[in-house]
Amino acid sequence: MKISSPVYSQITPFMGELNWDFSPCDELLELQVAWIHLLKTQYAKEISEIRQGFTAIGITWKEFDFQQKFISQFKSLSPKRQELSNRIWEIPVCYEAPYGSDLGNLALAKHMRVNELIELHSQPLYRIHFFGFLPGFMYLNGLPEILHMPRKAVPDRSVFPGSVAIGGAQTGIYPMESPGGWHVVGRTPLTLFDPHHDPPVWASIGDRIQFVPISSDEMTELLENPIPPTHR
Amino acid sequence: MNSSKGILTILKSGPGITIQDRGRKLWTRFGVPTSGPLDKISFEWVNHILRNEPNSAVLEIGQPGLKLEFSAPCEISLAGANAHVHLNQEPVDTLKKIPIPAHGILEIGHLDQGSRLYMGIRGGFQTPVVMDSRSFYKQITTTDFLYRGDQVPYISTTPSSEPGFSNPKWNPAWFQIEKLEFYPGPDFHRLTSENLEHILEKEFTVSPVSSRMGIHLLESVPNEIPELPTNPVYPGTVQLTSGGKLIVLGPDAQVTGGYPRIMQLTEFSQSVLAQKKTGQKVQFIKKEL
Repeated sequence: MKISSPVYSQITPFMGELNWDFSPCDELLELQVAWIHLLKTQYAKEISEIRQGFTAIGITWKEFDFQQKFISQFKSLSPKRQELSNRIWEIPVCYEAPYGSDLGNLALAKHMRVNELIELHSQPLYRIHFFGFLPGFMYLNGLPEILHMPRKAVPDRSVFPGSVAIGGAQTGIYPMESPGGWHVVGRTPLTLFDPHHDPPVWASIGDRIQFVPISSDEMTELLENPIPPTHR
Repeated sequence: MNSSKGILTILKSGPGITIQDRGRKLWTRFGVPTSGPLDKISFEWVNHILRNEPNSAVLEIGQPGLKLEFSAPCEISLAGANAHVHLNQEPVDTLKKIPIPAHGILEIGHLDQGSRLYMGIRGGFQTPVVMDSRSFYKQITTTDFLYRGDQVPYISTTPSSEPGFSNPKWNPAWFQIEKLEFYPGPDFHRLTSENLEHILEKEFTVSPVSSRMGIHLLESVPNEIPELPTNPVYPGTVQLTSGGKLIVLGPDAQVTGGYPRIMQLTEFSQSVLAQKKTGQKVQFIKKEL
């Protein structure tokens, strides 16, 4: 199916949004990346902030007139699509107790064995679409439908940093301690966000990640002697 | 300007006191909230009357019952909630700049009207800059709130007498309005006309479950909008949750969200709402672009 052109809607005198009526996928992400590149090059002086979601790009303009100018020009703009990155990050994840605190119940709810669930979760390549929710939190696309699970009715008061969890149609890693309503299936020893480093994250939009199961002994070792993430 | 160092010590404090400057707009692409003051009107005013740089860091005080000691002379200003303030046990006029002597003790009592008080200091507070901002945010700055015993550095200045220079005029009751103006949000069109009518005609009450992340409103609105993909949200975005509650996002809110984004409050209305106390009523009125 071909993705039609985005719609631009003005929200406030200074804010607007490019919006696609399409489900999140690689092709849509390619288009978004192309649009963001165009905005950053052709409208660098006019824009104060660009924010990305699954099906939209939010733009904050420095002046009212800049948004009006963009509205008059945007139909004639043709961003150049580029292929998404080939980089695949390997994320060690310990699915064992006590790290995967909700793994057992999630497997039971799915009528699965835990190893089946671990295999289903660690097999796919997940695409990084954007960062949101918490500093350094990657929105990933690609969770197999069989693992979709509604969020908890009552969120946990505190989820450990590095927790790998499933919520709705998504999977993700909590970069920092936070309340959370997702089902925790494991934990990574990696640091996901460093406010004193620029950029504060190691991955980029368009990269893919793969969860690599590790034992609790390996987890203990990596928590004591942290190593930077690796990619292939 | 004489620039010796001063230290502000928190002798007594309620919860919810933070340092705020204009925040971190350049880092949202990594999921970092913008932070910054809940009430920008008052934040800008305290810096304005001190003739500070507009990004100077101030104290945002969300609870009464604060006692502070300033180690060295300085000049401060207050705006936002109307508070009972004493300097060395003498009542002070909070509408004017307040010169503080060395070892001055400032006490902030009850917040009469409004719920957030801003305290600016000439030259701005000097807490560390992380990701281009001094605004507190858990796990970005080393502290998330100021507690008893904490110390905040500032630059000591000798208050100028400025003969013949009158204090700028300011109506401290500016936030005593109930109407909040909004622009239709990206998902506004998904509301049924019945639900839209409900939002425009009913009054909403500020819930106690409110923080710098978001101000929750008590009354429910039926939500018939299907689940949506996660997309950008901003301070002032009004989300309609799956449980039918309205949440007005604050400066520490996440940068993207999955609930329908039905309204976007004007900046002025965001400040008005920030000054509402739990239990106060607000109404929404639509503003045309």
